[in-house]
Amino acid sequence: MVTLMQPFMNVESSRSYIDELYSPDPEKCLQAIVCLKNSVIGSNRQKGHVISQGVVPRLLQLLGDTALPSQIKIEATITLGSLAKGTEEHVKALVELGVVPMLINGMKGKKIHPLFGLVSDDAKLIEASLCCLRTIFQVPCAPVDLIYQDENFTLHLLSLAPHSVSNQVCVTTILAAACKTVENQNLLCAQGAVQTLAALLCSPHYKVQMPSLMCLANMCHQNSNVSAVVATASFGGKSVPDLLVGLMARDKPSEMQMAAAKCVTYMHRAGAISAEDPKILYKTLPCLVRLCKKDQSCGERVTAAETLAYLTEVDTELQRLASISNHLVPTLAELLRYHPEPPIHPNQAAQKLEQEAKIAQDMKQAAFRAFASLGANDEDIRKKIIETDNLMDHIVSGLQDPSPKVRLAAVRCLHSLSRSVQQLRTTFQDHSVWRPLMQLLQGASDDILTMASSTLCNLLLEFSPSKEPILESGAVDLLCNLTRRKDPALRLNGIWALMNMAFQAEQKIKSQILDTLGTDQIFRLLSDPEVNVLMKTLGLLRNLLSTKPHIDQIMGRHGNQIMQAVVLILEGNHNAEVKEQALCILANIGDGESAKEYIMANEDVLKKLTDYMMHSNVKLQIAAIFCISNLVWREEPGASERQARLREMGVFKLLQQLIMTSDTLLFDKVKTAMTQFPEA
Amino acid sequence: MSYTEKHENISKDDWMARLESRHIARADMNKLIMNYLVTEGFKEAAEKFQQESGVAPSMELDSMDERIRIRDAIQSGRIQEATALVNQLHPELLDNDRYLYFHLQQLHLIELIRAGKIEEALHFAQEQLSEAGESDPNVLNELERTLALLAFEEPNKSPFSDLLHPTHRQKVASELNAAILKMENRDPTTPKLASLLKLIFWSQEELDKKKIKYPKMTDLAGAVIESPK
Repeated sequence: MVTLMQPFMNVESSRSYIDELYSPDPEKCLQAIVCLKNSVIGSNRQKGHVISQGVVPRLLQLLGDTALPSQIKIEATITLGSLAKGTEEHVKALVELGVVPMLINGMKGKKIHPLFGLVSDDAKLIEASLCCLRTIFQVPCAPVDLIYQDENFTLHLLSLAPHSVSNQVCVTTILAAACKTVENQNLLCAQGAVQTLAALLCSPHYKVQMPSLMCLANMCHQNSNVSAVVATASFGGKSVPDLLVGLMARDKPSEMQMAAAKCVTYMHRAGAISAEDPKILYKTLPCLVRLCKKDQSCGERVTAAETLAYLTEVDTELQRLASISNHLVPTLAELLRYHPEPPIHPNQAAQKLEQEAKIAQDMKQAAFRAFASLGANDEDIRKKIIETDNLMDHIVSGLQDPSPKVRLAAVRCLHSLSRSVQQLRTTFQDHSVWRPLMQLLQGASDDILTMASSTLCNLLLEFSPSKEPILESGAVDLLCNLTRRKDPALRLNGIWALMNMAFQAEQKIKSQILDTLGTDQIFRLLSDPEVNVLMKTLGLLRNLLSTKPHIDQIMGRHGNQIMQAVVLILEGNHNAEVKEQALCILANIGDGESAKEYIMANEDVLKKLTDYMMHSNVKLQIAAIFCISNLVWREEPGASERQARLREMGVFKLLQQLIMTSDTLLFDKVKTAMTQFPEA
Repeated sequence: MSYTEKHENISKDDWMARLESRHIARADMNKLIMNYLVTEGFKEAAEKFQQESGVAPSMELDSMDERIRIRDAIQSGRIQEATALVNQLHPELLDNDRYLYFHLQQLHLIELIRAGKIEEALHFAQEQLSEAGESDPNVLNELERTLALLAFEEPNKSPFSDLLHPTHRQKVASELNAAILKMENRDPTTPKLASLLKLIFWSQEELDKKKIKYPKMTDLAGAVIESPK
């Protein structure tokens, strides 16, 4: 049956067949739908027109009417499928009108009869419904969760897949789009999706293999359970990882190589394939490096670089291998220098410019991420990255990019490179990196703040010449505020940076830190649930309390609170490392002049010191004895009184016992302490 | 040092003799012909050829019926009918390939112009075709060429008369045919014979680029080979 397109050239004439849609005569109704279908296929204008005329609810009504012949439902579904191939706005409208649940319900009861196969009406209706659902699910706003409302529906979908190439394409695309959470991943895995997908990877059709790869990747992403299942699944005598490696071969389309490499990457990061596996080292890694090259499309280069960043993020050996593979570093640097082509047609200028700007952003982000991963651990790689043409200039301008994603990627990259002592002293200084970094820290989002403050920590290391200018631009206030944040990572970075800042700093800076932070906040940090925060707080106190004049000055102002803090830690339920820090603080206090009195006058603390001298942990013994020897140091005023007091407490006797130790480090400390006492 | 300096120019006779010495199996020839007939949708010829040569077609001949109906409709100028048939056979095809859809609509426009239905043609262009031109500059260009036919008293004698020639219909019919085959997951979508002929063009181009003198095939349909000049 062929229905010509004549009647629907304009609104007035389209009335007639739209009226027919509501006809009680099924034949007339069918004719009208076919007319409608032919009018909307290929034309977005017509689709918009039909949707705005309110025809969709009528189509849904036809779908739901069990009394109507299948042919009508099939044509109605096909028409909805065509409407979904319009703009994103059209799809939104369809979604709001409830098309998705209608399609799902329509498929539920239907099975494809094995004997009649694709020629049956049910099979045709299912195929059309799957096509429509697939098209809708390719739009980001699609309500993909609806397929999980009935757990058995995904199982049903999987059972529909084998019947036709079209069904294979649609089911895998639908599941790939809908696999978003761990629950989704586990459910699909439990329903046997991995086996279905393994078989479809071997399909002769590109259009089946691609969505199957996407679905597999989405199922494996950050899911060790599913990844392990995939790693051991097989089809046709070949394991899935081997099948994936086969799809990465150079004679496959680059999109396919990319998708397969992504799957293996996700499986590696989820712990299912080790970093030493040849499939990673000699297949996936080189494949991704190759896909970063200039001859690939911009989109592919971006995905390849991002995937490579993820693949190499934690493994030093992979970072090293990648950095020497096929000129990767200069290839990634090219991504930073992307220059959009000028638009060809004036009509498209604005739209094109917007697209190009987006591409340039994506490319920068991908390159920064990849550099961040590559330079995470190895000094030589960092050097190689930094020596790339104008890289620092690109990073510095990346820190100020209008796109927050680019700013985050740039600061990640900077953070990775800032782990290099040498670079901190040279390149970082030359480019005044601290300036945009400090700017970035003002009112930034939490993820940027975490990275930026962590980078700042490194920049504030004593040997870094950036320290001074950073201080002058208000860093103390900023960092003290960070220690009050809810996010533990931010508190840690704040206190860590303050600790680095205080190291061998001038008196003025130390006072500023103490005044701004306040002893109340120090106490709060000392009872922080994060042990790292606690450690860095003690570290800060240690750094504040160094060199005699500083110790005396600070103890003079805050002595009681600091002693209280130390006692708090020594009495608390903490691990040895924490206690060692507290004892070291006492040792520093003991190194002051007037400050010594804070310990000498505190019977409780002295008692604790003698206890720690005999502690089972040798590190704590050493720290305690170090403090003792500072207290009894003979050249200092009042030394003999202190020696007498400690001897009276039995300290000298304890030292005599300890000199028998076989631990050389402890022996040295004990000996130093003993020599301070006059010969008895 | 180039290749030609070492070798004397080859004469046409020598060339032909060498070509003759190559053996091509009859069965291979027959398969190529069958492939051509099947891919291009010549069902009856394929059936006859199957009887006479004994070569089996590479696909079910019945599956060609729809494609043949579509090709017939296009080649006899019934474009809207062809479009409806395509939508019935593969509803997603023309939504996925808007450029192909445009070519069908353009063909319909040409038919209207050919039939002298000027007003209807203008109306159709405005209502249906302008949309395609908005999004794609290539389409706009082709659309302008087509509408330019309207400016001539005798479009057949205009600079754009190629659009009215039957070969234009055939071109679109082949484009559509290839798209349908692709939709049906049949590869490749062009006859193998065409690929082989393209290979001759390519080889001759490569030789020409290197400025090598050789007996050149100047007429493909007649397989005419001329002596090197």
